[in-house]
Amino acid sequence: MTTLSHRTFETATTKPVLAIKDLSVTLSREGRRSRVLDGISFDLFPGEIVALVGESGSGKTSIGLTIQGLLPRESQPHVTGSILLTGIELVGAGAHTLRHARRHVVRAISQDPMSALNPTMTIRRQMRESNGASNASIADWLSRTGLPDPDRIADSLPHRLSGGQRQRVLIAMAMMAKPKLLIADEPNTALDVTTQQQILDLLRDHAREHTAILFVTHDLAVAASLADRVLVLYAGRIVEIGHIRDVVRNPAHPYSAGLLAARFDFNSDRLRPLPTLPPERGHSVNIESACAYATRCPLAQPDCTAIRPALLPVSSHRGTAACLHSEQTPFLAKPGAFSKPWPAKMTQEGTVLKLSNVGKSYPTGARSFWGFRRLKPVLKSVSLSIKSGECVALVGESGAGKSTLLRIAAGLLAPESGKVSRFDDLLPQVVFQDPISALTPWLSIGEQIGERLRALSRDSDYRRRRVGEALNLVGLDPVLMDALPSELSVGQCQRAVVARGVIVRPKLLLCDEPISAMDVSLAATTLNLLGDLRRRLGMAMLFVTHDLAAARIIADRIAVLKDGELVEVADPDTLLAAPQTAYTRSLIAAVPALDTRQGR
Amino acid sequence: MTYLIKRVAGAVVVLLVMSFIVFCLQSIIPADPVRAVAGPSAPPETVEAIREQLGIDDPTVVQYGRFLQRLVHGDLGISVRTRRPVAADIWQYLPATLELALVSIVLGAALSGVMALLQFRFMGSTGIRLAIIGIGSTPIFLSALLLAYFFWFRLGWLPGAGRLGFSGFTGPTGFNLIDGILTGRPDVSVDALKHIFLPALALALPIGVAVGRSLNGALHDVLSQAYVRTARGKGLSETSVLLHHGLRNAASAPLSMFSLQVRLLFGGLLVVERVFGWPGLGLYAVQAFASADLPAVLGVAMVFGILYIMVNTLVEISQSLADPRIDL
Repeated sequence: MTTLSHRTFETATTKPVLAIKDLSVTLSREGRRSRVLDGISFDLFPGEIVALVGESGSGKTSIGLTIQGLLPRESQPHVTGSILLTGIELVGAGAHTLRHARRHVVRAISQDPMSALNPTMTIRRQMRESNGASNASIADWLSRTGLPDPDRIADSLPHRLSGGQRQRVLIAMAMMAKPKLLIADEPNTALDVTTQQQILDLLRDHAREHTAILFVTHDLAVAASLADRVLVLYAGRIVEIGHIRDVVRNPAHPYSAGLLAARFDFNSDRLRPLPTLPPERGHSVNIESACAYATRCPLAQPDCTAIRPALLPVSSHRGTAACLHSEQTPFLAKPGAFSKPWPAKMTQEGTVLKLSNVGKSYPTGARSFWGFRRLKPVLKSVSLSIKSGECVALVGESGAGKSTLLRIAAGLLAPESGKVSRFDDLLPQVVFQDPISALTPWLSIGEQIGERLRALSRDSDYRRRRVGEALNLVGLDPVLMDALPSELSVGQCQRAVVARGVIVRPKLLLCDEPISAMDVSLAATTLNLLGDLRRRLGMAMLFVTHDLAAARIIADRIAVLKDGELVEVADPDTLLAAPQTAYTRSLIAAVPALDTRQGR
Repeated sequence: MTYLIKRVAGAVVVLLVMSFIVFCLQSIIPADPVRAVAGPSAPPETVEAIREQLGIDDPTVVQYGRFLQRLVHGDLGISVRTRRPVAADIWQYLPATLELALVSIVLGAALSGVMALLQFRFMGSTGIRLAIIGIGSTPIFLSALLLAYFFWFRLGWLPGAGRLGFSGFTGPTGFNLIDGILTGRPDVSVDALKHIFLPALALALPIGVAVGRSLNGALHDVLSQAYVRTARGKGLSETSVLLHHGLRNAASAPLSMFSLQVRLLFGGLLVVERVFGWPGLGLYAVQAFASADLPAVLGVAMVFGILYIMVNTLVEISQSLADPRIDL
């Protein structure tokens, strides 16, 4: 293999902090070994920020864990190749060497700040473990990450802090050890939109000084706002390396181009389905001697399934790409550009759901002597009605009361005050955030979808036919009827959950953050599916999300919820063009746009 | 403070309910305490006098009220069998039982640690699993008999009956292990240790298996948590990760299991004291059952009830110490 790193950042004298050569990792999952990383090579230089971009399952998280030596032991990792971290070889190194590297050279910030801190240990003790720091230094590092009142924070237990505060604590904890390499694995996806941007700024500002950052993300726009270089990963292989601005402007690999096309923001066309990455098609090939993307690639030629392409310099930018036909990528028709627009507005007269002055509070804090707890209002007199066939998006940050409102609408919670009127014989159906935990693991997909038909018919052939129709409706192969949820991908599980919701057609479908845990391409696919279904079946929808860009694409009206009160309800174009409240403006500003001018 | 008041109030309620239940048994049990005292051939006048003396002819409510009144004054009544105040009997046998229970609990806690480590180290090993199932499924009367049979009768390594090989030794606390040291007779302590080992082991085995299993399961869950990865990511040693981040977060479920097992230990005491001839409350209770000695049974039940509430409280306190998010 040729030298793969595209050296835009280093000077002739600097040595790389991290030099990875031909790294391959296989893990054993449920008895089967699978290759999660395949021939990865790249260098990382001091002060440089490199983004690792790919869909879920592309192996981007595994790279970080391999460098740390923290791949889960029960999956019996087998690592080959070379990882030189500040000149020390880590592949095949003993536990002591790896531990020394973790202690002094490489630190990581994980994806989910809510679970990354020990719940029974104060922040101060956890920070002291980081490098044996004094109290003054702990307070200093906490205040450097913009946390007010660092002494109070230091003495708190993690559950007293918000997600954003915890992520700042984790950043302070990592930075105070002055690592040479910081691995940030989607550090902002679990946070509210307004917090996300602050965390990125913090990383950029504090890590610039002689710390190299490996920034793992699925969103090229987020990468573009932070990184110098980008590595695009597909199926454990690097398919493109280049300067972030080059790749974002002129992607050389069809997969990078597809990823870029699939992301949506305020500029996306909301009158037609969103462009998505092409689905897997055709029979699988022996990927040892083929391009892993060949089965999805719109440019695939016969040679793509016969030769494994190496990373070679490309004509469209200064980087390299692993594609035999990269010169054709610029001519790749924008997928979906010729897709048919959605049919015209179909909101009808008649209401499917009417919430009048709904209020709800939850107990918080310690119990009093008699076991009572203080009540904290979560919803304060919310009134909202959804017309038949209409999609209303409910937008707000965590803690605003979105999910509570959805549960009240679904009839899963009773409101304390106010009135809920439903105009349907059926209770509304709900699509939850995590499709995997929303399916019972030991029942087949067909059994779970067909359960709702039991009341209608005892005829099992009839039920199977209806389940097959429902699976077709959501774009799943009816063969999957007999599969268990664990045999399906996340995207397929989400489709199955939707099929369960629509097999007996409800007038109202409730969606609770159905895309927040998904990568861009899967999110776009899911939005398309829901948009298509509601139009085809004439369903009304309540779509709860924290992402205004998604709300704009799916909804006819957007309702902004803040601290249990609706602050603004308007149609998407009006809301974005002329937001009435400061809160809405801050939500709008927090959506990352793909802007290559920004950053440097 | 609020917690303590709640606990005491709870204890009083539990004791009242318990006393009532045990008291009600009196009218259900077909055995005749009067005949038990007087013997089958006693003349009717004697029987009548004893009936009068025990207040058996009064209405149940009156008897219960009288019982509660006496209870407040620490009077548990007169044992039908020994003809002594039940309180005095209990006072005499309590130290032996407490000693056995405490040693069993400590041994059980140690065993559960060992069991958890073994299961953790040899994950999925058939040998360990068989051993655990074997020990876990052996009823306590069988394991007590087996231990006595092998280590006392066959091998003769350890004594299998009584508390002490010395006769006439009495110490200030009634706990032979401690009294030996206090009175400058280490030989007594060693001998007491030999005597207590087998019965304590019989009682500790089920604790060790159950709590060890629960600890191992909890530890497995905790060690796959993101915060353990954070701790490892800081370059901490595995020991430090296990002690500071693993054990403490895994403590809650095993502690609950521990409190459940200690409750079962009270039942086990009856069997084990009987098998090993251990002169404690368990043996006293067994003898009281045999002679339908209701005041004694009631007294022992009350003592075990109080002990259980104390154990439960200690477990709750240690749970909240392990997890500061739990408010007492």
